[in-house]
Amino acid sequence: MPPSDPHPKGLDLVAGILACLLPGAGQFYRGEPYRGVMAAVGVLGLFLGGMLVGGIDVIDSREDKIWFVGQAFVGPVAFGINYVHQTRFKALDPDTRLPRSGHPDEMRVSRDLDADGKTEPVWAPATDGKGPPNVKSVAKMNEIGTLAATLAGMLNFIIILDALLPTSRSKRGRPHPSTHRSGGPLGALLEKEARK
Amino acid sequence: MTTLAYTPFIDPIALHEWWFLLVIPIAFFIACGYKAVRVPNMRKYWPQVISFTIQIVGGIALLGLAAYLIIGYAIPELAPMPGT
Repeated sequence: MPPSDPHPKGLDLVAGILACLLPGAGQFYRGEPYRGVMAAVGVLGLFLGGMLVGGIDVIDSREDKIWFVGQAFVGPVAFGINYVHQTRFKALDPDTRLPRSGHPDEMRVSRDLDADGKTEPVWAPATDGKGPPNVKSVAKMNEIGTLAATLAGMLNFIIILDALLPTSRSKRGRPHPSTHRSGGPLGALLEKEARK
Repeated sequence: MTTLAYTPFIDPIALHEWWFLLVIPIAFFIACGYKAVRVPNMRKYWPQVISFTIQIVGGIALLGLAAYLIIGYAIPELAPMPGT
């Protein structure tokens, strides 16, 4: 199917896959670049806006697992940021040996906990001028940031479906006749509009 | 690594007193993404985005007002606390 055809029939798998990789890329591929750009602005604006409000702490597949299910629909961007959060900002608790965010009086150090020659990041008491790499967000800033990033994923799910499935849109804003031949009062209204 | 300064996207922003204003950018970006795939004619995109943003913010404000009236007035009338 050529990318310039805005009316694909059936599933448009390429557009769907592209939409999964980057918000709006599916619409861009289907010959609707302005739609693609604005869809990306909406999704990435919400996602990055959530991070701006709540910090990197709002993208956390370990501590906010259910929220991350929604955020994952943003695509590789969400997985990449979560990976950076888990590997560069968290460290092991010295007692439980479980990864967690740092407290304000801790700093991240590398230690060989098992004496096997392999160092791992561990939280230790902070020395002068040092601290954890990020401030853990709490209360409303965490809630609103997490909500915004999750809404971004849910919004991108709609955008992925729009790229994957054929639509009745045309470039001139009229419904595509092949998808509105019948359908009761709504179909009649759409056909009337299309004939104008 | 030190944490002396605020780092955007890494640390949370200090808007604890004004958190309710964040509904406006959230509603705007939802409208941007949703209307990008919903409007048949992109020439009507921005009016639709602005209209949808106002509808979301207005709807949430009305829900907040309704919750305030129920909790602040209706429930104390229906079930007054002992001694009040």
